[in-house]
Amino acid sequence: MDFLAEGLRRAWGLLIAGDSEVFGIALLTLKVAVVATAISCAAGLPLGYFLATRRFWGRRAALTVVNTALAFPTVVVGLLLYGLLSRRGPLGGLGWLYTWQAIVVGDVLLALPIAAALSAAAIQGVDARIRRTAETLGAGSWRTAWTVAREARFALAAVITAAFGQVVAEIGAAMIVGGNIRGSTRTLTTAVALYTAQGDFGLALALGLVLLILALVVNIALQVLQGRGEDHA
Amino acid sequence: MLELRGVRHRYEGRVVLDLAQFSLPRSGAVAVVGHNGAGKSTLLRLLALLEAPTEGQVLFNGTAVPRRAPAALRRRVTLVEQRPVLFRGTVRENLEYGLRVRDVGQTAANGIIGDVVERLGLQALLPRRRHELSDGEVQRVAVARALALRTDVLLLDEPASSADRAAAGALYRALAAERAARPFAVCIASHQLEDAYRWADDIRALADGRLSPVTPENLFRVELPPGDGVKTARVGNIDLQVMTDRAGPVVLAVPPTDIFVSKEPLPSSARNIFKGRVTGMAIEHRGAGVHIRADMGGVELVAAVTAEAVRDLALTPGGAVVFSFKATAVQVF
Repeated sequence: MDFLAEGLRRAWGLLIAGDSEVFGIALLTLKVAVVATAISCAAGLPLGYFLATRRFWGRRAALTVVNTALAFPTVVVGLLLYGLLSRRGPLGGLGWLYTWQAIVVGDVLLALPIAAALSAAAIQGVDARIRRTAETLGAGSWRTAWTVAREARFALAAVITAAFGQVVAEIGAAMIVGGNIRGSTRTLTTAVALYTAQGDFGLALALGLVLLILALVVNIALQVLQGRGEDHA
Repeated sequence: MLELRGVRHRYEGRVVLDLAQFSLPRSGAVAVVGHNGAGKSTLLRLLALLEAPTEGQVLFNGTAVPRRAPAALRRRVTLVEQRPVLFRGTVRENLEYGLRVRDVGQTAANGIIGDVVERLGLQALLPRRRHELSDGEVQRVAVARALALRTDVLLLDEPASSADRAAAGALYRALAAERAARPFAVCIASHQLEDAYRWADDIRALADGRLSPVTPENLFRVELPPGDGVKTARVGNIDLQVMTDRAGPVVLAVPPTDIFVSKEPLPSSARNIFKGRVTGMAIEHRGAGVHIRADMGGVELVAAVTAEAVRDLALTPGGAVVFSFKATAVQVF
């Protein structure tokens, strides 16, 4: 137990002192998470709306693919992406391997199915009459989608949180395509894994605490939003 | 103005609407009546351009409407569903929705909303949100939201189903005032025949997705046994004789004009002869005669006769009457 207490003391000390390495890693993680969440939700939410509201040939198969992709192992995504981005791979010319952009791409591939599948479920949960009413009042496609999304906004906020949660906690793809390079592609999760393996438990714990704080802040923000919504239905 | 041509619409493989032709005149009021499940709501959704028929065409001013109707065309038609919903926000915001879609300025929108809420007595509801409204109030707000748009075609699905008598009166008065102010087509699906007879220029009956030549008074849902020839269908306490090879669940329709009315049973080839008492007489407003409503042992039948026949037979409410019609006159849907 001593090592745990010692680890916590070290963690607290690093956070209070504003350790540049800890904050550098945290900032990179935040940057990667925000960019990847924004991209996956920008693509996934409209895709979810499309899957939930349009009837087309192959829709059921598309939903099955998206739902299956929810369980895609992160290391497999990392491996596939590594193959694509490596110098001999089809996307090798981009020079993204072992960059933060590569981590973003991996995270987007993992978070996109979450955003699409969960938003499709959220939109399907909205009363079908809302969409018909928007249309019969003359709304075009975008305004109808916006009206339906407003009705599901708490569920959609939860979708964004889930996507953020996936991205911020992801380690497999980040390790493989990011390379865990100090000062360049080291994220909170890859750093925790590395420092734990090196026996620097205090630093690993400090980084773990930062990760928890990030998740907590996002969840509190969502709860505040939901609480406000209940008062203004 | 708006026309369905050769429409067969299916849900999950089942034909729910089968109409060779159905049109709404430019400034007419049409009532569509029929049992629950007759296809009224489906018909209105097709007319509202919210769904495309599985087969057939929808024409607007003679031009075929694409399967996904463009918003500009949809803005000329609006539908109030039987159980309407309001969006998040206040009643005022709901009333503004369609006007904002049409880029109506705030000043003009305020004028239109003020006018429509006054007609429907909704002033007090403007700041309220949907969870603060009763079903009847939601329905009135939804009608107001549609009326505010001044569309070429207004479709109302059971608009007074949740309204009390006063609210229903206000609704029909508002509709009449709007019709007096400008020409537009209105189509109301209703099972309240009194309302339909009172205000509609034309009444059309739907039975199992098809236009029926009779209004729903003489529509009966029955189960027919297999086989050919004359069959007996039990309706309440009476047996209807029907000539058909159809079997299973069907809807029977007895056209009021095919019923002979007399004071005593007449010797004839009619297989259906029922004695009863007159429960009501109403002059059909289009001058097509008098509707005699009679209770035939717990089952109400309606016959259409001329005013002269009523006088010659000395028919009076409560008086004895005999209705006769042939087994071949009973239509099967």
